[in-house]
Amino acid sequence: MKRASLSVLGGVVGILFFLPLLWVVTNSLRPGSETFANLNPLSWQTFLELRPTLTNYSALLNSAIGRATLNSIVVSAATVVIGLAICATAAFGLAAFQFRGRGLVFGIVVLSFLVPFDAIAIPLSTMFRDWHLTNTFAGLVLPGIGNGMAIFLLRQFFLGIPAELVEAARLDGLGWFGVFRWIYLPLSKPALIGAGLMLFLFQWQAYVWPLLIGTDAKHILGPVALSNLQGQNFTDYGLVFAGAVVLTVIPLVVIAGFQRYFVQSVSSTGLK
Amino acid sequence: MQRLLPAAIVAVAALVAGCGGSPDTGAPATADQGPQTGTITFTGTDNAETYQPVIKAFEAKNPGIKVTYTQIPFDQFNATMQQRLSAKDAAIDVYTVDEPRVSQLAAKGFLTDLSDLDAKVKTSFSATAYKTNHFRDKLWSLPMWNSTQFLFYNKTALAKAKVTPPTADPEQRWTWEQVEAAGRKAMQSGGTKYGLFMEQPEAYYQLQPLAESLGGGSGIEGDDALTPAVETDGWKKAMQWYGATFASGLSPRGIGGFQTGPVFAAGDVAFFVGGPWDLKIFGSSKVDWGVAPMPYFQGGKPVTPTGSWSVGINPASKQQGMARKFVEFATLDPAGNLATTSTTTIIPANLEAQKQYTPQMDKFSGAKTAGAAAITTYESEHTAVSRPVSVGYIQFEEVMGKAFADIRNGTNSDARLQEATRQLTDAWKSIK
Amino acid sequence: MKQRQGLIALAFLAPALVCLAVLRIVPAISAVVESFYTESLLRGGRVFAGLGNYTDLLSNKDFRQSIGVTLLFTVLVNPIQVAVSFLLAVLFTQRAAGAKLWRTLVILPIATPPAVSAVIWSVIYRPDGLANGVLERLGLPAQPFLTSPSQVLPSLIVLLSWIGVGYWMLFLIAGIQEVPEEVREAALLDGAGPWRRMVSVVLPLVRRPLAFVLVADTVSNLLVFAPVQILTKGGPNGNSNLLMYDVYSRAYAIGDIHVAQAEVVILVALTLAIVAGQFRLLRGDQ
Repeated sequence: MKRASLSVLGGVVGILFFLPLLWVVTNSLRPGSETFANLNPLSWQTFLELRPTLTNYSALLNSAIGRATLNSIVVSAATVVIGLAICATAAFGLAAFQFRGRGLVFGIVVLSFLVPFDAIAIPLSTMFRDWHLTNTFAGLVLPGIGNGMAIFLLRQFFLGIPAELVEAARLDGLGWFGVFRWIYLPLSKPALIGAGLMLFLFQWQAYVWPLLIGTDAKHILGPVALSNLQGQNFTDYGLVFAGAVVLTVIPLVVIAGFQRYFVQSVSSTGLK
Repeated sequence: MQRLLPAAIVAVAALVAGCGGSPDTGAPATADQGPQTGTITFTGTDNAETYQPVIKAFEAKNPGIKVTYTQIPFDQFNATMQQRLSAKDAAIDVYTVDEPRVSQLAAKGFLTDLSDLDAKVKTSFSATAYKTNHFRDKLWSLPMWNSTQFLFYNKTALAKAKVTPPTADPEQRWTWEQVEAAGRKAMQSGGTKYGLFMEQPEAYYQLQPLAESLGGGSGIEGDDALTPAVETDGWKKAMQWYGATFASGLSPRGIGGFQTGPVFAAGDVAFFVGGPWDLKIFGSSKVDWGVAPMPYFQGGKPVTPTGSWSVGINPASKQQGMARKFVEFATLDPAGNLATTSTTTIIPANLEAQKQYTPQMDKFSGAKTAGAAAITTYESEHTAVSRPVSVGYIQFEEVMGKAFADIRNGTNSDARLQEATRQLTDAWKSIK
Repeated sequence: MKQRQGLIALAFLAPALVCLAVLRIVPAISAVVESFYTESLLRGGRVFAGLGNYTDLLSNKDFRQSIGVTLLFTVLVNPIQVAVSFLLAVLFTQRAAGAKLWRTLVILPIATPPAVSAVIWSVIYRPDGLANGVLERLGLPAQPFLTSPSQVLPSLIVLLSWIGVGYWMLFLIAGIQEVPEEVREAALLDGAGPWRRMVSVVLPLVRRPLAFVLVADTVSNLLVFAPVQILTKGGPNGNSNLLMYDVYSRAYAIGDIHVAQAEVVILVALTLAIVAGQFRLLRGDQ
């Protein structure tokens, strides 16, 4: 009984959060001239379309969205892989050891994510220009890999891993990298997924940066292509929403795919 | 023939350079013109299809030169260009220039001096277009497009409200007072939610004519064009009226961006002030509508907005010669200029191209757009007033945009204009 | 021993420290340097201005208002988002049918392109939009939302919470899953009520993830600008003029990079003060 009411509550919350996105999906299946036609009075037509059309999606084929989505996947995936390696080792360095200056290093990590990236993007793009990184995939990936917030997140979770576990492993002859690889990483899967999502979203929503370093049509990323669908004097929202749906489906698949890692309490099974 | 062509180009280039005779140092005549053939890049904010016709025509006429177009989203265009131009990014040869920004771009050294083309530009374009592309007596960019505004009206709603609609004849232009009265009638018995709506209700481009119609001036004065003048009687009266249209419900608050046009297309407003692009966009609407000239204030004079995009050359480009050929083709050559407008609804700036283009405007949406051509020609000759030329225009537009938004949302207009004067003084202090 | 530990730790930290130094700290320093200069368009050229940009800013009424708005926003938005995220995390870690699907839907808004989120909410808040449609159905009077000086900030908070709470919930779920199931089950058998169980058992055990969420959420909210830029431009009457939006419009729309960087320095100092306060608070908690 209690389980059922919790399901209902969860369902209501989930649907409420989804409703605005449903409006986007519905209007991506309508001609752009009708986007704002069913707002008032509020009715079921506002959120549902009985005669959906795929014209907006077929029109997307003529835009750069396809290539941009692929590029965004490549850039985001590279960032997640490299970024997780860098951030997780750093978090381990901060969580597993006692050393002088630990507070200072942690302070630098925190400071690095207090500085708004959009504000330093302008001087940073000048630096990248000098290093001939404009219009390259490396130039797109690099700013995403050192993420102070992801280091902070992983450190918080790593601090929760009992010291006795590490001591026991050390006595068994495990090296420090082994401790990191075989104790810390397996015990922190949900946190690693969270950090991975953080690194992923930074790149998935990259907009100002790719423009500043002058990326051409070959290196175009999703948000830029989406924005290019908007005109100066007129925007076909049917088309824009179709593009937005395409760009939202990929993270949806990623998030849904990793859900199963959240089900089981890893540390409770791993510890005993 | 193939061999001869480059030689011919050199000869032409030399001729052009020779004609320049600009005494200034760093004038293009003395600058390195770069290679004769190759690929130049053209950066703008419209989608790629817009420029395909002009690029094709140019490449056919100039074998050996290829043009690659790069699109940058509109909301990031100025910032991106600012950063890349100041970094002397040679990957940009030609770029589109928003006319009111010419002075700032020129002041920052982001445009190649084109003054040797001055005489040609004077005869090929309207006087306002000629003027806005100048800064400190030099020519920095070539006008590509022009714009104007129309009064769109919902025929069905006006008929229901028993209001005789305005005509397309500029001599019988309606006043704002007439529009307001007719709009209210349409709300009472014509079945529309609102009486009047502007396409960009918070944009200086569309609201400048309100103040200018009452003799309020552009809002900028002084020798350096960095002195605010937005508290003139004309500005005050215009803004009082404008604020009242929202307070009384004649116009809706809280709708902006690209959501204004659909209000007219859905039949929810009797009168709508919009641009030439709407002549085609509203064609798909189920509403029956017509076009009339933009209104003016009773006792004032008719004033309409004008201006659009120009094209200019990046001084850091290493292909000045080819870049110049392209900008000349896209603007000074009537066929080339016309080609820039073939896939979008915007008026070509070249007068010869305009002559060929405007008659088509009458048929953009069948009988509904009858009269649009005559209005366009009339406004460009008699009523068009361009946005002020000032190095501080960007700050001005930003400050005024916020003031218009606040006045729209119910802030006292006199007090808000006074506030705007203070904000402008502050903003301009740092660039003086 | 300690020194050796330090060297090993440094080896693990080195790649990240190099990245942070080159990609964040060095450009940040150059931003600070720029904030001491000014550029005259009339005379041309960049000149040293000392603290001129800072004193100009601090004497500017709009800027002082912006700081006030930002502080008010920070005080309101963070407790709301952290509390809602925590409640959602508790809800979605109960064994209940469909929990995986529902929580995916709650996380989804963070994946929506920000420009599109802003369009959605502009439609919700329009005078004839979805929110007033719902109010009308409920027999309530229509509200002005974004066009009202008093409702604009709450309206933005709702919008930002729709985007953010699912995301922050994710990290808290990760934390709750770390709590051994036996502990949670034991609390259940104890007969502790759901509320007491939540506060007395779950809360202390997710202390560290919660600290992360509080700090990271606070920082993220101080750096918000996209919805402000698209929906309100800081208005009406500056009541939604958050500092980061002001920075963004100065740096990107107006192109006055020097004053913008001075403003960034002030913003970072403000953020640092708030975050330092939070760390102190959290330490006292332990």
